[in-house]
Amino acid sequence: MSNKTNNMLYGIYDDADQFLKSAYKMKDMGVPVEDCYTPHPVHGIEKAVGIKRTRLTIAAFLCGLTGTISAVTLEMYTNVFDWPMNIGGKPNDGYVPAFIPVTFELTVLFTAFGMMILFFYRNKMVHGQREKLVDLRQTDDLYIIAINMNEQHHSREEIAGVLMQNGAIETREKGVSK
Amino acid sequence: MYESPIREPLVTGGKTVADVTADICRPMENKPTKAWWIGFIISLFCLGLLGWNLWTSSTQGLGLWGINKTVGWAWDITNFVFWVGIGHAGTLISAILLLFRQKWRMSINRSAEAMTIFAVMCAAIFPLFHMGRVWIGPYWALPMPNAFGSLWLNFNSPLLWDVFAISTYFSVSLLFWYLGLIPDIASVRDRATTKMRKFMYHFFAMGWDGSVRTWARYEVVSLILAGISTPLVLSVHTIVSMDFATSIVPGWHTTIFPPYFVAGAIFSGFGMVLTLLVIARKVMNYENYITSGHLEAMCKIVMLTGSMVGLAYITEFFIAWYSGVNYEQYAFLNRMSGEYWWAYWSMMTCNLIAPQVFWIKWARTTPWFIFVMSIIVNIGMWFERFVIIVTSLHRDYLPSSWVMYYPTATEVGIFVGTFGLFFTFFFLFCRFLPVINMAEVKSILPHKHHDDDHGHDNHGHSHDHNHNDNH
Repeated sequence: MSNKTNNMLYGIYDDADQFLKSAYKMKDMGVPVEDCYTPHPVHGIEKAVGIKRTRLTIAAFLCGLTGTISAVTLEMYTNVFDWPMNIGGKPNDGYVPAFIPVTFELTVLFTAFGMMILFFYRNKMVHGQREKLVDLRQTDDLYIIAINMNEQHHSREEIAGVLMQNGAIETREKGVSK
Repeated sequence: MYESPIREPLVTGGKTVADVTADICRPMENKPTKAWWIGFIISLFCLGLLGWNLWTSSTQGLGLWGINKTVGWAWDITNFVFWVGIGHAGTLISAILLLFRQKWRMSINRSAEAMTIFAVMCAAIFPLFHMGRVWIGPYWALPMPNAFGSLWLNFNSPLLWDVFAISTYFSVSLLFWYLGLIPDIASVRDRATTKMRKFMYHFFAMGWDGSVRTWARYEVVSLILAGISTPLVLSVHTIVSMDFATSIVPGWHTTIFPPYFVAGAIFSGFGMVLTLLVIARKVMNYENYITSGHLEAMCKIVMLTGSMVGLAYITEFFIAWYSGVNYEQYAFLNRMSGEYWWAYWSMMTCNLIAPQVFWIKWARTTPWFIFVMSIIVNIGMWFERFVIIVTSLHRDYLPSSWVMYYPTATEVGIFVGTFGLFFTFFFLFCRFLPVINMAEVKSILPHKHHDDDHGHDNHGHSHDHNHNDNH
């Protein structure tokens, strides 16, 4: 095997339950699963593949905090320091309750945009990006387990046999450049 | 996934995963029908009406509108609140129902969110053009230093809060909608046959391949967006209500406004969702996805929120009497029995009394009847805003400035025109995007039962996949 390509083995399923069962079989056998492709979120699969919980939640908090700080800064600078206005004789000498709505809205706005930008960044998604599909039907009704054969102790036949036994409709091999 | 033995399945007709893709993509992949063209052309005509009337309003001035010195807010702000209210169902369905694990949301959230986005666009037109000289609007609505000719923004003003609330709501709803669309756009991309379709869906799918890592992040991001959108939905109509509640006008100056407006917004939003979906499920053959169970659930929400606004109407009366303030008492008596009594009683009939028929199961499950009711709800909620705004203003403290307000043809044209805008976008949406969230619906299909399977209760693993939810 050349160093530049990953020799991939794909197990293709048409049923989510059997697909999930096979992924756990692989885990039990000690076969690391590189990735899976499903047309809809299948729960439990991330544990079989060994995916850690995403840190996007921490990022969400930081984005929100940025929004809060930006809003408070904007409101305090414009309405309290730079150009305080007398509105109905109401106090204008600090952070007033009237500033809360805009602070809240900007917190939400920054969190939402931050989340989307980081989501696309982490998944390396960009408009017009070329998709790498194993099968055209993986966004329709096929569930695919992808196993990198370069990193396996088990033989191809053994793994493919287990995949087929657990309900795969087909196995496929392909060299994918790293 | 857990399947309840007593509940009706959310998707009927024994659909498979492949059926979902095929059924939902079919209306997009076939040639547009005659009905679609007729609807689309009528909408375009109304859109033209909007363009013309906004042009004359901008070039000739707001003298073309029926507003006057006493009634400065009338038709325009009524319609603004009307459309913003309608724009509340989408994010409510996709965010609040997600947090409450209501799986029936899945086949209606896409179209409801689309509706939200289009409704908010319609809403924004009214306050913008009510400024008169719309081209200098940015100086008043955006933070511009004093040197630009206007002072810094006044962050004490609810009107400014509205600018931030509506624009945040619009952008967050749009992002949430697009996030949910990406997997489905990828499904459409992989079925596309023409070069043009392949290119367009490929462009917007952003290389989506359904990898497990992407899905894991997708679910976390959806949950976060739902978490922040939930208070956002509530905040938007709360802030809209503060446009009135923070003033000292009798009839507006009440603390009940925020919850009352939010309930009203949900009420009118579901009214509009029902109007659109009762038709869409029939025309697009989606009756197995948007089942009568879905309609029934929405009718129950309509009844609940209708009763909540009804309670608010009655509470307002009680508080006006109990407060002992003459002006407040007069404002409410005038509402009920003054010159605009017909608007008040239309509101009461449509919003409080009519939805009570949904206590009867037949009413909740008969599509034509639901359609008629949804129109009544829309009319009732329009009158609610008209009553609150116009009847509170037209007889203020000074009897010498008491007047009546009637809309002009220009104002009616703008309002009809916003329906044109709304439906133009909605028809395009039905034509080019999957109206039902395919990926989510696929995850709630009843499971296949295999002969060799030991049932999903007996998996030898701790992954507990029979109890978790889709998010």
